[in-house]
Amino acid sequence: MTRATKVLTELFWLEHLHRIEAYLDRGGYQALKKALTEMKPEQVQEEVKKAGLRGRGGAGFPAGVKWGFIPKDLDKPRYLCVNADEGEPGTFKDKYILSHDPHLLIEGIVLAAYAVGIHSAYVYIRGEYELIARRLEQAIAEAYAKGYLGRNILGAGFDLELVVHRGAGAYICGEETSLLESLEGKRGNPRLKPPFPALVGLFQCPTVINNVETLANVPFIIQKGAAWFVEQGLPKDGGTRLFGVSGAVAKPGLYELPAGTSLREIIYTHAGGMKDGRKLKAVIPGGMSSPILRADEIDVAMDVDSIAAAGSMLGSGAIIVIAEGTPILHVLRKVAKFYAHESCGQCTPCRLGTSWIHKIVERMAAGGGTRDDVDTLVRLAGNIKGRTLCPLGDAAAMPVAAIAQKFRAELEATLERSAVRP
Amino acid sequence: MIRLLIDGQHVEVSEGTTVLKAAERAGIELPRFCFHPAFVPEGSCRLCLVQIEGFPKLELGCSTVVREGMKVATQSPVVREARRGVLEFLLTEHPLDCPICDKAGECKLQDYASDYGLTESVFREAKEKREKRLPIGEKLLLDRERCIQCTRCVRFLAEITKTHELGLFERGVHAEIGIYEGRPVRNGYAGNLVDLCPVGAITDTDFRFKTRPWFLARGESVCPHCSRGCNIYVDHHPGFPRVPGSAKVYRIRPRVNEAVNGPWICDYGRYGFVEAQNKGRSDRPFWNRGGAMTELSWDKVRIVVGEKLKALRESGRTGRAAVAASGWLTNEDLYLVRKIFRDDLKISRLFIVDPKPGESDGMLLLPDRAPNRRGAAELGFDLAPPSLEALTRETDVLILFGPHLAAHFGLEELRTAFDKIAFKILVTSHLSGLESLADVVLASATPAEKEGSFTNADGRVQRFSATARSCPDVRPELRILQDLAREIGLRSDLYGPAAAARTVHVALVQEIPFFGARA
Repeated sequence: MTRATKVLTELFWLEHLHRIEAYLDRGGYQALKKALTEMKPEQVQEEVKKAGLRGRGGAGFPAGVKWGFIPKDLDKPRYLCVNADEGEPGTFKDKYILSHDPHLLIEGIVLAAYAVGIHSAYVYIRGEYELIARRLEQAIAEAYAKGYLGRNILGAGFDLELVVHRGAGAYICGEETSLLESLEGKRGNPRLKPPFPALVGLFQCPTVINNVETLANVPFIIQKGAAWFVEQGLPKDGGTRLFGVSGAVAKPGLYELPAGTSLREIIYTHAGGMKDGRKLKAVIPGGMSSPILRADEIDVAMDVDSIAAAGSMLGSGAIIVIAEGTPILHVLRKVAKFYAHESCGQCTPCRLGTSWIHKIVERMAAGGGTRDDVDTLVRLAGNIKGRTLCPLGDAAAMPVAAIAQKFRAELEATLERSAVRP
Repeated sequence: MIRLLIDGQHVEVSEGTTVLKAAERAGIELPRFCFHPAFVPEGSCRLCLVQIEGFPKLELGCSTVVREGMKVATQSPVVREARRGVLEFLLTEHPLDCPICDKAGECKLQDYASDYGLTESVFREAKEKREKRLPIGEKLLLDRERCIQCTRCVRFLAEITKTHELGLFERGVHAEIGIYEGRPVRNGYAGNLVDLCPVGAITDTDFRFKTRPWFLARGESVCPHCSRGCNIYVDHHPGFPRVPGSAKVYRIRPRVNEAVNGPWICDYGRYGFVEAQNKGRSDRPFWNRGGAMTELSWDKVRIVVGEKLKALRESGRTGRAAVAASGWLTNEDLYLVRKIFRDDLKISRLFIVDPKPGESDGMLLLPDRAPNRRGAAELGFDLAPPSLEALTRETDVLILFGPHLAAHFGLEELRTAFDKIAFKILVTSHLSGLESLADVVLASATPAEKEGSFTNADGRVQRFSATARSCPDVRPELRILQDLAREIGLRSDLYGPAAAARTVHVALVQEIPFFGARA
C-alpha cells in the first residue's frame, strides 16, 4: 500500500500558492479539465461515492451519497453551499485550506457543481475570517478571469457563479439549516427537518451543503481515482484527515494523516508529545462538542466509526490536549460558557438547559458548589441530548455529561474543598 | 388512508396527517406551546414529543407525519420524563408570579406543570431580570419574564396579518420578543395575540387586573359589529343572584369556526363589543315630556304605546305611520316587525337604518357594520337608508329601532323633521342623543343578552342564545313586539308570551326556507 501521507497539504509550503499561477504550475485545475472533457456528471458523482469521502464538517456523512439525494427531475434551480463557518472550538483546518490553497477549494466546488448540475454556489465563511475571505475573493476573481468560473467553463458549456458570503459571528450558523437561513438574510435559526436541504434548501430549492475540507478532496479523487483515494484512508472512510492539534503538546498545529491513525500516535509522534514533559490528563478528540477522553482512552483509531465506538466522535478532527495540572472545572467552565453563549434560543432544552448548566458551573467555580451539582449536571445534559431541534443541543450536552461522569471524583473533591453549603 | 396505533388505539387518518392531529382523532391531546393549527409547525417548544417504535429518539408530534403501521406512545415513562424535563427548563426562568398574573387559571404552563407534577424546584441560580411591562401595542403589554419563546405572536404577525411588527432579538437565554424601534403592533387583529399567548406574557390593558378568569362565565355568541358574524365567546361575570344590574362583559374571544372566522376576530369587534355592552346603555324605559324625563314601567309602556297604535289601526290611518328597523335586529325580530307592521297593521313605510358602512380590512371585517343586513334583505326589506323626507312626511307615529338614525342626520335636522310628528317611539339598547327627540324610549337588549339568529354576508344563518344577563328593566325587541301586538289586539301564536325566539324561528323557516337550509 502506497500512502502519500500528505494530499491536501502537500504543497502548502509553496510560496504564493494562493495565486492562480502557482496553482496552475503545480498542476491545478487539471481534475476539472479531465471531468469536463472526459466525464459525465454521473461519473464524477459515482467516483466520489466509490472513494468513500465522508463529510469533514463533523457528522461524517458520505459526500457522494449526499449529492445523490438531490432530485433529478425537479424544475427548480439547485444550489451548492460551502460551509466555511468553521466555528467549533479547537478547529482551524478549513482556515488553512482557505488561506493557503483557495483554488483547490474552488476546483472542488466546480467539480461538485458539475456532478450535481448546479449553476450557483455560495461560500458561507465565518465573519472572523476577514482576511481569508478577501484572499478567497481574490482567488475567485482570478478563476473567473481564467475561465474556471462563470459562463462556459473551459469551453465545455458548463456555467457556475460563485459568491462569497461572510457570516456575522454565530456558531449556530455552522449548522447547515441555520447557515441557509443566514444566507437568505434572516436570523440564523435552525430549521425543522424534514424537509432536508437536499429537497428544500436555499431559497426553498434543492441544496447541497459541503464542508471546505470535503470539497478540497474532490480534485484529488477525480485526478487520481477513487481506488487511490481509499488507499489513503479506510474503505468506508477514504482519504486523509486534517487534525488540528492544540493545547499542551510540544508542536501544536495542523497535521494531515490517514484516517484511522491512532490518537496516541498523533499526540506523541506527530505533535511531539506533551509540552514541557507534562503528563497527559485528557483529550477532546473532535472539537469541543465531542465527549472528552481520559488519558487511558487514547489508543483509539481516528476515523468516524472507531472513535464513535469508543464513545466520542471524530467531529471536525480538532484535538484539544489537556495536561495534568489543568483543573477539569476550568475545562467545564469553558464548555458551559461557550454553549450557553452560542445557543440560538429557539428551542426550550437548549436555550434554558445550556444557561442553567452554565449558571451551575459558574457557581461551582465561585466556591458555591454543592454535592448534588454533578448529578444535576448529568441529569440536565440528559434532558437536552436528543431532545433539541438541531444538533447544537447534543453538542452542548455531550461534553458536559462526559466531563461530569469521567471526572466526577475530581469535581466532587473541588466541591468539598470549597463547599459553603452542605 | 393510513392506519396506525396510538397508545394502543387503532386510528385511521388520511395521508400527510401529523401524529399530533392523528392523536387528536383518537381523543388524545398532546401538550403544546409553539404548535397552533393555523401556523406551520415550529417544533421549538419540544413538549409534544412522542415515542415511535423503531425511532432512536423521541419525535415531535406536531411535525412528524404518520406512516402505515406506526406505533406511537404518547404517555410512556420516557415521554413523560422528557416533557417533565422541558417543563422544568421553562419553569427555571419563569417568574412564577401566578398570583398576580392575568393568565392564571387558563395558563398552559400552569396546567402542564400541574399535569406533570412539577411542584419542587432544584433551581438554585438567580433568574434573569427582564422587562415586566413593555408596551408593544395600543392595548398590549409584554412581560418578558413570563415569555416562554413559543413565538406564536411573531408567527401570527408574519403568517396571518403579514404585518411583521414583532421579532426575535438576542439569542440563547437572552432571546426576547420585541418590536422594532418606533413600530408598535398596529393592525386590526392585535387582540388575538393575547388569546394566542399560552402564558401571561402578552396581556391586554383592557382586561388586565380587572377580574380572574375563574370568576367568568363563558357564553357562546355571534359578534354583531359587522356582517361577517364571527363566532365568539362572551366572557362575563354572571353577577350575584340578589344584586340587580347587568352582568358585566369583560372580554370576548374568538370561537373557532373554519367556515366563518377561523380562530380569529378583529379588534373592531373585540373592543367594540365590550365597549357597547358596558357603556352608554339605555337601561330602562322612560317618557320624555318636553325635555322632562320620567321613568316608565313596562306595563305603562304597553298601555301608552298600545293606545297610540290601536287608535291608528282603528281609525284606518296606518298610512300615517313609519317604521325604521335595523340590521342589528335578529331574523326573528325582523320577521315579527314585518308581520306586525306590514302584514297586520298595513304600514307600507318600513325602512332599514343602520350605522354608516366602514371599510373592509381585507380579512374578516366587512364594510356593513350591522350583523343582519342579509337577513333583512331576505325578508324583503329595502336596505337603502330612507331620506328624512320619506321617513317623516305626513307621519303621526314613528317607530325607530336602534340609535343609528343619529349617524345619518344631525340632531337639529332631525328635531325639525320630528316636530311635525305627534308620537315618536324609540326602541334602543344605547343612548345616542336621539332619545331627546322621542316621546317614549324603550330599553332593549344587546345581541349578547338575547336569543335569535343573524344571517351573515355569505347567507349563513347563525343562531345564538342569550349569554349575558341584562339589566332587569331591559327587554329583548322580540318581547317588546309581542307585548304590543297583543295589546293592540292582534292574534297569532307567535305573539303569545310563551313564544320564544326559537318558536318564531320555526315559523320563519316554514315561511321562508332560506333561513332553514343554512342554519
